[in-house]
Amino acid sequence: MTAVPARSSEWVRPVTLPEPASAIIEIDRVSQVFQTSARKDHVALSDISLTIEEGAFVSILGPSGCGKSTLLYIVGGFVSPTSGAAKMKGQVITGPGPDRGPVFQEFALFPWKTVLGNVMYGPRQQGVRAAEAEAQSRALIEMVGLKGYENFYPKELSGGMKQRVALARTLAYHPEVLLMDEPFGALDAHTRTRLQNDLLNIWERDRKTVLFVTHSVDEAVFLSDKVVMMSKSPGRIRAVIDIDLPRPRRRTELLLDPRYQKHVVDIERMFDESDEAGPSL
Amino acid sequence: MMSPAALTRRAAPVLACIGLLAVWQIASLVLKNDSFPTAMEAIRAIPDILGDKESLINILASLRRMALGFAVAVLISIPLGLLMGRSRSVAAFFNPLLMVVYPVPKAALMPIIMLWLGVGDITKTLVIFLGVSLPVIYHSFEGAKAVEEKMLWSGAAMGLSPAQRLVRIVLPAALPEILTGCRTGLVLALITMITSEMIARQSGAGNILFNALDMGQYDTVFAMIIIVGAMGICFDAIFERVRARLVRWSEPQFDMPLSFS
Repeated sequence: MTAVPARSSEWVRPVTLPEPASAIIEIDRVSQVFQTSARKDHVALSDISLTIEEGAFVSILGPSGCGKSTLLYIVGGFVSPTSGAAKMKGQVITGPGPDRGPVFQEFALFPWKTVLGNVMYGPRQQGVRAAEAEAQSRALIEMVGLKGYENFYPKELSGGMKQRVALARTLAYHPEVLLMDEPFGALDAHTRTRLQNDLLNIWERDRKTVLFVTHSVDEAVFLSDKVVMMSKSPGRIRAVIDIDLPRPRRRTELLLDPRYQKHVVDIERMFDESDEAGPSL
Repeated sequence: MMSPAALTRRAAPVLACIGLLAVWQIASLVLKNDSFPTAMEAIRAIPDILGDKESLINILASLRRMALGFAVAVLISIPLGLLMGRSRSVAAFFNPLLMVVYPVPKAALMPIIMLWLGVGDITKTLVIFLGVSLPVIYHSFEGAKAVEEKMLWSGAAMGLSPAQRLVRIVLPAALPEILTGCRTGLVLALITMITSEMIARQSGAGNILFNALDMGQYDTVFAMIIIVGAMGICFDAIFERVRARLVRWSEPQFDMPLSFS
């Protein structure tokens, strides 16, 4: 922190300058080996090092089977790496915690709870009083566009609506990092686009750190500040690309933007070059 | 106003009962066998049984044993099944044991249990307990095993401990499957209740039935069969009501119609 004097004509008071973006997650030489049979090992991740800055929207992009979800689960603390370590704010991650909120492709909602019950679950677990948790949850449900569905059960909702509930449920306990595991992967193209737009709108309000796993090049470029490209067998980082497109981003404007198009084409070409993960991406 | 289709559906079980009794009545009249009373004769014998204090005490004693055996079995089997479903080591320990016990008819164990514990309430309740336990353990186990990993992860991220996850996520998520096991268990409780009283003849509904058989009071025998059957239907219907209420969230949104009407 630095104190600088304001203009001399005014009285001098300390001004806090924004700190330079600091690392919130550090992945340090992480490898993950699964034993598929008695004799064969599958190297899902090989020597991955990556730093994620606070407030950044980072996508991990790669073909299926490149270990990108595994990497996310390691950051979530759901899976322990075979070697290396992931750190959250300098602390080695040893298990899940409310500072890292997952959103899964499978939604993983609690089917015996209503929409409101699902969203309230985290805050209640954290000891927030019922009335307060309910008020916050209702606001969140409205924010994700599900006002009026508070008392519906998950089975009564469409896939897109379920994922909106899952997002609200995770946001409700205020994680510092959102871990999104192909969250829109199970949705149809139209719903997917709408949810991408809505996610960006929500994200632009408070700019939480997001780690977003996807296999869609467009999605990664549209949403992210940074795209981490992975290759498979063994899972390695191929390249990290900064996406310098201005925000707030509008999908319709972006599609016509040559910079956006160039990023998409560049990334697709890079994947085409690699032998394993060619056009099948 | 009920639609004709709905009315038919409602009336169907009643019609089925009347049909069954009618077939019985005709068969009995045609066969003219002493040991096969008509449906009317059997029904007429019911008030005599239910009006008799001795018989009522016997039936209530049976029901008490059934309730106790069922309740204890459910209270032990659900946690055990859930633990087995979530822990490999617990499953590895109990699975072989259950695999051996599962196909053995529980009533076949009665002579040994009688030898050890006598012919009283404990023996009969224990047999009911054994009969109920296995389906409840099995369904709890299957239900717990099927709980989505990501659901547990979501709970873990909210700060739920492993024990909290078992009670607050695995239990409700597996509830539909658990209750299916309990429903089977309830019917099995009634069956083992009668069977146990048939082997250890001392008191109970089964005792009334078999005493009547010994004395050639065939109308009483058939009346008892009707009473026990009716109890089974009632318990099952009540349980089904409770079950449907508890797991409303899991039922398919549009239930399969019972008929093509």
